[in-house]
Parts: sequence; structure tokens; C-alpha cells
Amino acid sequence: MTYEPIWGSIIAWYLFLAGVGAGAFATSTFLSWRHPEATSMRKIGHVIAPVAVAVGLVLLMVDAEAGFHNPLRFVYLLGNFGSVMTWGVVFLGLFMVVSIAALVLDIMKRNVPRWLENVGAVLALCVAVYTGALLGVCNTFPLWNNALLPILFLVSALSTGAASVLCVSIVRHASEFNRVGVLKKFHFCLPVIELLLIASLLFITQSNSEAGMQSVLSLVSGEWAVWFWLGVMVIGLVAPTVLETWLLFFSSKEFETSRKAHWISFASDAGVLVGGFLLRFLIVSAAVPLTVVVPLL
Amino acid sequence: MSQSMTRRSFVKRGTGAAVAAAALGGGFVSFGDWSTAHADEAASAEVKQVHSLCNSCSSKCGFTAHVVTGRVRTMIGDAEHPYCDGTLCARGYGYADIAYSEDRLTNPLKRTDSGAFEAISWDDAIKEIAEKIKRIVEDDGPQALAMIQDPRPSGSYYTKRFMNALGSANVYTHGVACNMSKVSGTMQALGVGDFTSDVANANMVVFLGRSYADGIRPSSLHMLKEAHDRGVHLVMVDPRQNASCLYVDEWIPIRPGTDLAFILAMANVLVSEDTYDHDYIANYTEGFEDWAARLPEYTPEWAAKITGIPAETITRLAHELWEAAPAASIEQGWRASFGCSHKNSGETARALCLFNTLLGCWGAEGGAVFYPSVSAGKLEDPRFAAPPAPAEKIVGAKEFPLAAASMGVSTYALQQIEEGAVKGVIFYQSNCVGGYSNPKQLDEWVRKAELSVAIDVQMTETCAACQYVLPDTSYLERLEIPEFVGGKVPVVALRDRVLDKIHPETKPVDEIFSELGRACGVGQYFDFTVDELADAQLATVGLSLAQLQKEGIATFPEKAYKPAPKTTWGTPSKKVQFTSEACAKAGFTPSPTWVEPLVMPEEGQFRLIGGKQTIHTHTQTANIASLMAISEMYGLERPWINADVARELGIEDGDEVEISSDVFTGKTRIKVTERIEPTSIYLPSHYGRMIPEQHVSYGIGLSQMDFVPFHIEPGYGGTMAQETVVTVKKAGE
Amino acid sequence: MTRYGMLIDTTNCIGCYACRTACQRQNGLDATIDYIRYEERETGKFPYVGHETVPLQCMHCEDAPCVAVCPTGASYIDHETGTVRVDESKCIGCRYCMAACPYGVRVHNTVTGAVEKCKFCAAESFEGRAETCSCVEACVTGCRIFGDLDDPDGELSRAIAEKNALPIAGDRTKSKIFYVR
Repeated sequence: MTYEPIWGSIIAWYLFLAGVGAGAFATSTFLSWRHPEATSMRKIGHVIAPVAVAVGLVLLMVDAEAGFHNPLRFVYLLGNFGSVMTWGVVFLGLFMVVSIAALVLDIMKRNVPRWLENVGAVLALCVAVYTGALLGVCNTFPLWNNALLPILFLVSALSTGAASVLCVSIVRHASEFNRVGVLKKFHFCLPVIELLLIASLLFITQSNSEAGMQSVLSLVSGEWAVWFWLGVMVIGLVAPTVLETWLLFFSSKEFETSRKAHWISFASDAGVLVGGFLLRFLIVSAAVPLTVVVPLL
Repeated sequence: MSQSMTRRSFVKRGTGAAVAAAALGGGFVSFGDWSTAHADEAASAEVKQVHSLCNSCSSKCGFTAHVVTGRVRTMIGDAEHPYCDGTLCARGYGYADIAYSEDRLTNPLKRTDSGAFEAISWDDAIKEIAEKIKRIVEDDGPQALAMIQDPRPSGSYYTKRFMNALGSANVYTHGVACNMSKVSGTMQALGVGDFTSDVANANMVVFLGRSYADGIRPSSLHMLKEAHDRGVHLVMVDPRQNASCLYVDEWIPIRPGTDLAFILAMANVLVSEDTYDHDYIANYTEGFEDWAARLPEYTPEWAAKITGIPAETITRLAHELWEAAPAASIEQGWRASFGCSHKNSGETARALCLFNTLLGCWGAEGGAVFYPSVSAGKLEDPRFAAPPAPAEKIVGAKEFPLAAASMGVSTYALQQIEEGAVKGVIFYQSNCVGGYSNPKQLDEWVRKAELSVAIDVQMTETCAACQYVLPDTSYLERLEIPEFVGGKVPVVALRDRVLDKIHPETKPVDEIFSELGRACGVGQYFDFTVDELADAQLATVGLSLAQLQKEGIATFPEKAYKPAPKTTWGTPSKKVQFTSEACAKAGFTPSPTWVEPLVMPEEGQFRLIGGKQTIHTHTQTANIASLMAISEMYGLERPWINADVARELGIEDGDEVEISSDVFTGKTRIKVTERIEPTSIYLPSHYGRMIPEQHVSYGIGLSQMDFVPFHIEPGYGGTMAQETVVTVKKAGE
Repeated sequence: MTRYGMLIDTTNCIGCYACRTACQRQNGLDATIDYIRYEERETGKFPYVGHETVPLQCMHCEDAPCVAVCPTGASYIDHETGTVRVDESKCIGCRYCMAACPYGVRVHNTVTGAVEKCKFCAAESFEGRAETCSCVEACVTGCRIFGDLDDPDGELSRAIAEKNALPIAGDRTKSKIFYVR
């Protein structure tokens, strides 16, 4: 018998979008702390956050067919506080409230109070970690069931959230984009950290069980190898790191602020987004369960 | 058993839907219409319990169905039924789906000039078929008609009565593709076709390719387990480690088609060492000296080269059987070994009986035994009087003189269409074309017949080849005449109407042949209902239909089996016949000697072997969704190949391979396993169905018989299902 | 207290799938909805080969991971019988329980969208069911015993002790199906 993954791309989209939304809000909070002048970019983050998370939640509800056909059943979602998913619902709910409040204040051209931004940032971190912990508590899947996954998803969330804000600002507010150097440097670090986390995740997972080994093999040399190496590693992590290294440390200041450089940054950030989605998709799809008796065929 | 036979509105509403559908065109009642018409019935649960007989294999186990709102739910096997002994099998639970299958035939169909089927009315179908039958009988005589049917109580009765009424002896069963050689070979030695190893009470039993756990008859499996628990020495000689091997002490892989060599060599050991039942041989057998004189050449060393079983093992098993005798025997085999499989199958069965005779095990407790049965007595009512016996013998009797006449060589009858001797053929509940021999060849012949009719519940390879297809009721929707079953305690059991008729335009076998009989001018033989006939038959054993409908099954404890040495036989000499005049006339030696199989695999070739899986019965269950779902989930359609051989061929488990014989090439995924000997490829005989109207089974896996050319076992008439060699290679290489 | 459990003796399992089809029939399930699944393994080399079939179904764990992760409380433990149940009227079909179940024995019904599994049908009451669980009733070789684990003199408890039957994956979820292997 062959193993059919329990979840598919819809859940991967949900995990990705929740991460992007959380990361975008965290980026806005970071901007208001280190680049208070970048108000347009901050607003971009406040727009992306609730929209991405809302789209993700709709996808989740569509995927939960029994609930989709009987929407009243979603009432029970706070039924079990022992469940990571219930906590996820709490975090996502509160995060939606805060992020929509921030967006409304932005639209009403009123200041978003610092406390609200901080609360939102904390909730964003919770949401990002939750997306990893959701999978992490399933101890049947060695690829998921480890403490690295929530951290990896957190870092990836921050990275993809920042990338989404940067992408939009390149198109809409290039001048502000030129001035957020600290954010860019932080953003530059994230893929490097992700590389280390992914390497650690794979090393540890392959060593802990036959199913772990099979999961890792399917990523690095099996069914998913092309997507993993080309999509996640090259497009999502290595290329952005190389491009940003060059832009930040080896190109002239003039070139860095040129429109050409902007589009290179845009490409690199788009790569981060593509890689961020594929990372979740592959983690969801490539996980092989520990079986009780015999390794599956 | 309580019964609440509250009739619901199935039939009435069904008719309404049929009329609506007919008005819209085509005349077919779709499953959609039917389920819509009955959707509201789920609201009020209504439970009844009805007794029936399973139809998923030839055992026909008895069970009680719990019917909830027109759906069969729990099924409980009869504790008293000699074949199920309290439990059913996976097939039985799954096969009940057939009643609700979306692929049911719901109207009589007629092939048009364009080759497609169109719905016609029952009146027209009966009229046209009867006209053709009458014309054939008039022009070519009744022997130009052939009936091929799956022998079940009502079917056997009505098809035979119909044919005999027309004056034809040509009533065939599926025997050629099942147990023809086994029964016929056994007949030559013993004068009966069947015996049973008393496994549970034995000291030792050797199985030759017979797997109680694959072709499940639950009571046999219970017996095997009991024997295992008791410590009986059980040996499985089979090319494949079949499911029964869980309970045996040793699995002895043998090259298929060489069982005869194995038996001859063991006989050689016993006779040369003078270790056999001298008393029994002296008093109750005939011709022993002839066999004894022929055996010396069949040494274990000789057999080792042919069978692949080490000579020491053969010698040891012979010794062990003798030590265990008389509570020891070799059990009979069916299609997967020598029921109908090789050129030497009939002679294998004969040799097996003679070997058992050496052990003196006939009728001994733990030996090989014959269970008693009961049958209906003579019916006084003149309506039930049998038609005169046909003047001639069944077509094929002359050409295959050893073939049991009760089964007949149906494939030969179809071949006679080509020769012009047979003009019309009727199939009842028989997918002959799909699996009795090479399907392409049989299809070609059936299509050449002047008249061809198939009666079935769903479109099959056989139906597709015929001019007329008549829709049968499913086994759950009809009452049949009672079935008398032999066993330790013989019984009579009833297949009753578990469900009301689901599709209004389907008819049970008794109605179809009664109507055909009337239309053919022999209506005087069908002037009764099946209920009346059943009641009359039961009256002869002191029961009534009403009583059996209530009880489901009745036992005859006064006729129960008692172990006693069997000393009189049904042979011409009333003794066990080591020599057979009939066999000698048919071209064999008077006592059995080695007969080479028709083909033998050379280097790089394999013998393609078949055999049942626990969840299927040949082609019959393939279109059952709940059973095929298991095949698909666990890859059961894959042929088996020996692991070492696969390694040499560069084939890995699950690889797509190409399998070729002289007559067919097909591709499928393969199963690499240690559980098969290296010269065999095992292809389960259920797959490769190519009837698009069978939405479940269509196109899954390969069909064993596609690889086997048309041929018939000399003398015995078996289909030689395993007389083909194949090559295997990785697909695309 | 009643704590329903089961014993499955795989040394007697011929892998015939009767438990699966009987379960589908009694519970009125579609062909692809399987409350019982099977793992198989071959051991040894030709011709010395062993073969084992292990039927798996909801283990009705006391520490049920499915219950722990279910966000709506649709999966719960019925304390009267000790069985793990699914209240379909609460199930949103998120399949989190399927991901959490170490035994892979929960099934997603694509028609209703909800998740189903073995109910221990003898612990339920519905029209037309056998006296015991359908899989127990159907097992041709009598591999299965259903009963109350809290009844120390019951057939089940005695058989578990006699045959030294153990949960399939150790004590990790306190499962209530005990295997003889």
C-alpha cells in the first residue's frame, strides 16, 4: 500500500499565508521602531497582514469540508484548549482583530498606538510559531515532530512577511525602500538562518527513524528533489542571499538606489516568497509517517 | 428466526421510475432513478431477517441477512451449514453489493446490426429466442443446442429440464475450468468424484496446491486451524506460499505441472519398500500389480529433477505418510493445481487416489472420507415429472470419454460452433467467454453462433459476445429450490427472497426458463411455480417451504457421518481400480504413469499459474466495488515473481513489467516476493476484465486466460489453464 | 466502569480481509471507507519464508492523540465505555486527528467531509447489528476477542494474560487493542 498525504497544497497555502501575514505585521512594527519615517511601508504591512491571513483562513475552511458544508460546526472550534489548532484559532482571531484595528486606524489616518503594534507583533510571533507547532505535535511524522520546525516556520514567516512588504514598496514607494537599511540587513540574515535550520532539520530527521530517513530522501533525492533544490534552496534561499549580499555589501551606493537594483531586489524577494510557499508545501507533502509494523511500500 | 415480511413499495415505485425512464428514451432504468425513487425510505428503519445462500463462490454458504430498510446489513453465517460452519468470508460480505450495483442489467438487450445493444421487451426477447430455438431444433436437431450454466439449485434444475424437454443432452457446467480433471480422474479410480481429507482428525495431511485459506470454504479453514492446533503434521506442496501456509508445518515449493511426478515417486517409495496396506489392496482393489510393475522407474531422484523437490524430501514425506497412515492422506486439488490445469491433471487425480489407497485411509478416521448427503425424493405430482431422457449423449462425450458427463466439456461445445455441429448456445450465470479458456477464441466462436443468449446480472465478456442478454435477478432477490448439502451432518438450506426485486424488468431463472419453455412448445414441463416445486421437494424429506423459510436451514442428524472403512466402490468392479479400461482406451496407460505437461518453461521462461485470492472468485467478484477496492489498495492485482529471479532481471517490487506468451502480451505492476518458486509467475485469476460496462473492474490488471491458448486436456476435457509459458521483462526495455 | 478492548492474534490471521468487508457491510460503509487496514510483511528467504498480516483499526487509546488535537471536541472519549468516538455533528473535517493518529486508522469520508473510524460497534446500538463487533463475528479463524478490560475474569482479560498480548506500539498511547504476534 502506498501512503497518501493527509494534507495537500491548500493547507500549505494556509500555513504560508498565515506566516506572510504575521511576518508583514512584525515588519511594520519593526519599521515603526527602527524606521519611523517609513510610514507608507508600515501601512503596506498593515494591509498585507489581515488580507493574507484572511485568505489563508478561507482556504482552511474550504479544506475542512465537513465544516464548509455545515458552517455552524465552526462554532465548536474553541472546544478543546488541549489542541494546538484551538490555540491557533485564538491567536489568529486575536491577530485578525489587532491587524484590522491597525488597518482601520491607518485608513482613518490616525496613529496606531505603540502598544497596539507591540501586541500585534507578539500575536504575529504566536501565529508564526503556531503554524510550525500545528505540524510539530503530530508525533507520527518525524519530519514534523521536532522543536526546530516551529522556529524554522517563524524565521520563514518573518522573512516572507518582510519580503512581501519590500516587494510592494519597490513598486509603490521606491524612495522609502531606499531608506530602510536596517530592515534590509535583518531581512538579509533570515535566509541564512533558514539554511542552517533546514540543514539541521534534515540531519536530525534522517537519523531518528526509517520514516524520517524516507522523508528526507524524498526531499533531497526523491520525488520532491527538484522542487526542493531548485525551488526552496536556490530560488528561495541561496539566490536571494547572493543577490542581497552583492547589493548590500559589494555594489556602489548609487547602484543600490537605482531602479535596476530595485528590480533585482524585487526578484530576490519574490524568490523568498516562492521559496517560503514551497518550503511549507514540501514539509507537508514529504512527511512520511512512522508506521507501526512495517515500512510502507 | 423472526420475520417481518412487510412489503414495501419497492416494486411499485420502481415501475414508476422505469416508465419515466422508458418515456425519456432507451428504456433503461438508471441507478440514479432507482436511488432517487427510494431515497425517502431511509427515514423509517425497518428490520427483517431472511435466510439465503451466498453466491460469491461455489460453496453457497448459508447465512441470515439482517435487512434494514431494504439494505443488507449484518450477515451471519449458519452454524449448521457444512460449508460455512458459522462464518462467512470476505467475498460473501462484499458480494451482496451486486444487488445494488450500478452496473446491473435492467432490461433485455438485443444486439443490433451495428453491433451495439438495444433494449427490447421481454415479450419480444422470449418470442425471438424461442423462434430461433425451434428453428435450430427442427433443422439441426436438439443436439445443436448447448446450455452452459453455473450449477446452482434452481439453475441446474431449470436449465436441465428445459434442454431435456427440447430433447438435448447438452447441459454443461463450468467444470472444465474448475474441477473437471480432478473429478474425472477420481471417478476412474474410485467411481466417485469427490472425497475430503479428514484434516482435523488426521496424523498427517499433504496438500497439493489446495489452499483452504485462499479458495475459502470457511468450514475447511476451521478444520485446518483445528488440525494445526492439534499438532497434525500438515504439508503444503505448492509453487506458491499460499495463505494456508500460516497453518502448515512445511511449505514444499514444487514446479507447477509436476504433481504427478511427486505422487508417482512417493508411491515408488512405499511400494518398493513394501510399506503399504496389503490387506486393503488385496481385498478392495483391482490391478495393483500393473501399477507396481510400472513404478520402479519413478524414483525420488527421477522426480527431484522434474519437481524441483529434493529426493530426500520426497522419500521422507512418503515415510511420514506411511507412519501416519491410515489417519493420513493427500488432499485433492482444484483449478490452481490439477482441477483443470495441465495435460496430466486427470492422471494426477487418479494417481493421487491410488496413492491414498496404498495408505489404506479410505473412510478411516483422520484419513480420506466421504460425507453423507440427502436429496429430495421422487415427486408424485405429475406436473413435476421429468422430460424423457435425451436420446444422445452430451456433445463431447465421445471425444473426451473420461470427462464427467455431469459437467461436460463446454469449451468443446463452443468449438463445435465453428464446425457447424452446434448452432445455438445459452449461458446462464456463466462467464464462460471471460475465463473458461482463451477469451478471444471463445468470443469468436460465440459470435458465430446462429443463436446466442446470456442470462446474467451484469454485462460480462460472455454477454458481450451474445445476441441476446437477459437480465437476471440478483441472488438476493429470488427464492430458489432448496439446496441439499452433504457434510458431517447433511442439511437442506434455502435461498429465499432477502430483498424485493430492485429492477422491475429483471426476472429470476425459474420464470425465464418457464416462459422460454412455454414459447418453445414444451410448456407442459413448466406448469408450476418455484414455490410449489420447492414445497414439493421439501415434503419428500418431511419439511415444508414455509417451515424452511422460517428456519432457513434444516439438518438430518440421523444421517450424520460415522467413520467406517470404505470397502465398496462405484467403479465397474466395485473396487478401487488401479487400472482403468476407459483410461487405456483414451490413450493413457491402464494404471497412471508420468505424463509430460504440454509445455515446460525453458531458461528465461516461466509457467504462468493462476489461483484464487481470499477476496475474489475468478471473474465473478471482480466488479464488486468493496472487493476491488481492497485489490487496488494493496496491489493484489500484481503478478508474483520470485525475488532472486527478479534481481537477475533487474526488476524491483512495483515495477511495470511486460509479460508475454505466444498469444498475448500485457503490462502490469509486479510483486517481487520470496513466496514463489523460481520457474513460476503467479497471476491471480480475477483481473484484466475488459468490459467497459463493468465500471469497477474494467482495465485493472491482467487476465490469466488471455495468455493461454485454446486447448483441451486429452481424454479428460479440462481447459489446461496453466499450460502456457511466458517471458517477463521490465516495461520499456 | 467498562473499558472495552480487543485482542487480535496475528499468528492466526490469514489476511483474508473478511473483517474489513463485514465491517463495511454492518456499518453500511462505502467501498473505499475502511475502518480496518492491514500491514503485511515477509520474512526470510525462499524457500524458508514467513508472512505476517497485521490488521489495524482504531485502538481506542486512553491517551488518544486524536482527541488531544481535535480542535472542536468532535473526537472524544466516552467514559461509560472507554471508547474513542467521533461526534460527526461537530467534526469540521480538518483531518488534524488523522495526522496525529500514530496508527493511521482514521478515514476521511470524501462525501460527508468528516473523519470516521472503528466504533467498536458492539459498544454502539443500531438496527440490525450482530451481537458482537462485526470484525469479531466475521473472523474466519477466530483471531479476535472483544470484551471488557475491566472484567478480570472475562474471556478478553484472560486471553491477554495467557497469550501475553501487547499493544502494537508499546504503551505510547495506552491503546486498548492487544496483539499476539
